[in-house]
Amino acid sequence: MVMMSLAMFRVMLLELWRDRAAMAMSFLLPPLVFLIFSSVFSGTTGEDVKLKVAIADDANTPASARLVAAVLASPDLRAYAAKGDDAEGVRRAVRTGKADAGLVIRADPAAAGHPLLIISDPSRAVAAPLTQARVQQVLGKLLPDVMLKRTLDQIEPALGEFTAEQKVNAADSESVTAEDAKAGRPTPDGNMFDREDIQGAQKGGGTIAYYAGAVTILFAMFSAMQGALSLMDERRSGISDRLLAGVAGMGPVVFGKFIFLASQCMAQAAAIFITADLVYGTPVFSHFAAWAATTIFASVCASGLALGIVSLCRTRDQAQMISTFLILILAAVGGSMVPRFLMPPLLQQIGLLTPHAWVIEAYQSVLWRDAGYNSVYLSWAVLGGAGLTGLAIAWLTARYIRR
Amino acid sequence: MSHPPILTVSGAKHAFVTRQVLRGVDLSVSAGEIYALLGPNGAGKTTLLRAICGRLRLKEGEVRLAGQDPWSVPAARAGLGLVPQDLALYPHMTVRENLQTFARLSLVKGPEIEATITRAMALTRTADRAHVPVKHLSGGYQRRVNIAAAILHEPKVLILDEPTVGVDVDAREAVDNVIRGLRDIGVAVLLTTHDLEQADGLADRVGFMREGRMMLEGSPRDLITHAFGEDMEILVHLVQEPDTGGEIRLAAEGLNKSSGNLWVKLDPGGYAAAGKLDTRLRKLGLTPREIRVRQPSLQNLFTLIADRKVAI
Repeated sequence: MVMMSLAMFRVMLLELWRDRAAMAMSFLLPPLVFLIFSSVFSGTTGEDVKLKVAIADDANTPASARLVAAVLASPDLRAYAAKGDDAEGVRRAVRTGKADAGLVIRADPAAAGHPLLIISDPSRAVAAPLTQARVQQVLGKLLPDVMLKRTLDQIEPALGEFTAEQKVNAADSESVTAEDAKAGRPTPDGNMFDREDIQGAQKGGGTIAYYAGAVTILFAMFSAMQGALSLMDERRSGISDRLLAGVAGMGPVVFGKFIFLASQCMAQAAAIFITADLVYGTPVFSHFAAWAATTIFASVCASGLALGIVSLCRTRDQAQMISTFLILILAAVGGSMVPRFLMPPLLQQIGLLTPHAWVIEAYQSVLWRDAGYNSVYLSWAVLGGAGLTGLAIAWLTARYIRR
Repeated sequence: MSHPPILTVSGAKHAFVTRQVLRGVDLSVSAGEIYALLGPNGAGKTTLLRAICGRLRLKEGEVRLAGQDPWSVPAARAGLGLVPQDLALYPHMTVRENLQTFARLSLVKGPEIEATITRAMALTRTADRAHVPVKHLSGGYQRRVNIAAAILHEPKVLILDEPTVGVDVDAREAVDNVIRGLRDIGVAVLLTTHDLEQADGLADRVGFMREGRMMLEGSPRDLITHAFGEDMEILVHLVQEPDTGGEIRLAAEGLNKSSGNLWVKLDPGGYAAAGKLDTRLRKLGLTPREIRVRQPSLQNLFTLIADRKVAI
């Protein structure tokens, strides 16, 4: 019994050892997926997330300039000056998805009330509190004198005007606090923030739009890859040989498959977004033209890429392995599983090489942020270009295939 | 040959990197003729077919299909139909649905499609299964539908790559009849097969390829007569397998072991020689169960060529 079982164990072992595809699926894909997820989730504790923040200084005071400089220099944020250096520029950056959140310095940071405004997209729920915390850290560490001045200014009206001596002491105190900050000693701070969600925001709706897009491209890639595998069946059965011996060749076959797969992807997307509209009120019908265009480009991309990738494979097994590999990796890196803004900056950059990132971004822009067509032209161009490139590869490869 | 060749291959040479697979092959097929291309695996048959189908550009030599090069003039391939070795059909679709699909992909015009399908099904005798999914058909029917899908655009030249591989004798006969029917309406048929019996009974001419060369070409009867003259094949089926001594005695009678207890020899004496052989074997204690006499076949010729016993 033992020897017989060992004989079968050996059969299975040799089968795995000699099947490179199975080996890759078994031992290469799991650690790769692990690495992607570990690098994403290790960043979601808040310690390592580096948000992209657009800043505008409407106050234009020495203290506000110091704050801008400090935030821009902060290693914990990827801050940049918003176009136009005004609140509208910051709102635009957040609405179009160029920034995860925005900071507008409305008045001198030492002034009473809420001189700082955080602008955020509710679909990136953690972005606003994280930005606030980062800016507060910067204030506490690098501008404690401003914080103290603000506190003293708030206290003075309540206690009556400070005497000349008290005013000198307060000024000394501000200097000391500034020196303490430089020396790394503890310093006082205070809440001075206001928050604003971008226009059109509806609690939870952005997240729904995000996941509707993420699931759409995930399944578009999955079904397109499965459908494109029929190219391999046609090679194996000799249908390709039959057609290549004729006048028409494989061109109509490849194009016919492309049209079908793209239509299938569109139908899937329609099913997902109609559900999102009915259940969560995702505004599909009120943005129908932009949604339809995004869906068409996403479908063209998924179908073209699937055909291109499959056409470059030599066997069905190879195509099956590569498609499974790509579907998982692209979905993980492209943000179909975890929002990209939570990923490390390098992974976010790599994510731009996936259709997932562009599809999700486009759907969010048109359905959630109401960002207008200008914000999605680039996504559409990237998706359409990738899809047509894949189609061209499949078209050209089909002419020269050998069984 | 009553018609001029519609398909000609002249001096075809081709190599994959350093491996020479075609070494100067000439071939021609006329309208209304069945030409069987024979040869062992690796002889260069598939490469030659690929060149004829315009899928491969020869290093030297030329292919002409109705006077045109199928590689550089794709329109030339309109007159070509290919029946691949495997079942090049969509198994989940019915016969008619498959034929509709391949008619469209063969550029048959819309209004002509139904008439074309009816004609192809009639020629291949598949009309009675028109609405059956291909996967539910018997092997013989599947093979005939495979041919039907290749003749929808009424090609002048039909190429069949191992058209009956894996089917039983009855199914093979049905396929052979379809091929004969196509020949009779003027189609030039070029087929490759390992089934020498099929080639013998079906082909007007055969060509033996080996190591990239056409070793022998002609009508099966002419080739056999040329190789064997007046010889007849005598097959001796013994009651039991002989021991070593028996094998030596059989060899002394000029018999060669074919398989098990079947022994074969070529003898111009025919039936008379068989009678004498029966008597001698019984005296030697080697009792025949059956002795048959028949004309030598392509199989005998193929064996001789394989053993390099025939001067080319």
